[in-house]
Amino acid sequence: MLVDPQSLAVMGGAVALAGGLAGSAIGIATAATHGIATLAEAPKQFRNVIVLASLPMTQTFYGLIILILILTGSVGKVAELGAGSGFMVLACGIIACAAECGSAIYQGRVCAAGIAMLPKTGGRILTNSMMLAVFVELIGVLGLVFTILALSMLGLF
Amino acid sequence: MLTSPESWAILGGAVALAGGVIGSAIGIAIAGSAGLATLAADSKQFKNVIILASIPMSQTFYGLITFILILTVVVPRVAELGGGSGFSVLACGIIAAVAFCISAAWKGDVLASGIVMLPKTKGRILTNSLMLAVFVELIGVLGLVFTILGLSMLGLM
Repeated sequence: MLVDPQSLAVMGGAVALAGGLAGSAIGIATAATHGIATLAEAPKQFRNVIVLASLPMTQTFYGLIILILILTGSVGKVAELGAGSGFMVLACGIIACAAECGSAIYQGRVCAAGIAMLPKTGGRILTNSMMLAVFVELIGVLGLVFTILALSMLGLF
Repeated sequence: MLTSPESWAILGGAVALAGGVIGSAIGIAIAGSAGLATLAADSKQFKNVIILASIPMSQTFYGLITFILILTVVVPRVAELGGGSGFSVLACGIIAAVAFCISAAWKGDVLASGIVMLPKTKGRILTNSLMLAVFVELIGVLGLVFTILGLSMLGLM
């Protein structure tokens, strides 16, 4: 058998991490693109730009947590249960993938808006930008929590 | 039999290298297009444009590292284990492919923004552009590291 339940479960973890990596790359790049335009006119904002541009990186690590949880916990349970349980883990991985990818991309937009306003406000907008970016971050954290919730409700964790 | 576990594993490595190659091509092309517009206005920035436009090339080499690792180390292990292990390697290859493709393509956007600002800042933006591009590069490096992590957690390396 070329595709067994365990390998479908591994694919679920891989999809979750891939979503996190893709979202983080796009989010950081969006914020960094605006960061360069801001630094061209106000080089003193470098520290604030770095802080805001690095915020979308966290989703990669949420994806990594899902991958490690699936590889260490779920794959063993799937090997016992067999049948469709591997496909269920893939379904849970897709929850995490969508949450991490979407939240990181749009967190990058929030950070870019904050970065664009840094010179005008003399850096004061940093705190507000971070608070509003954390709202989007929350969706990524909820994606992680709900994936773990779904896996444990299915008895796969 | 048209496919075997080993051939799925090789597909995983090929996908990783293909992701890196596609991403690098898109990234370099985006930065290169911005470079031509900049050089038409200010031909003295040639050295800086060449430096910034060549940065997205690194993801191709990360893809090559993944491909070589899978071909030399992972495929013999898959031949021993059989079953779904080849599909698990494909899952790990997809992590690498997504990370390399997206990070290289979007790094091109960041570098294009840096290249556009070169004449206005008389080349001063070079350092800042490189530092912000390295943030996006980091996602590509994390993709490589996490792919190797996933393969070794599965006992395939």
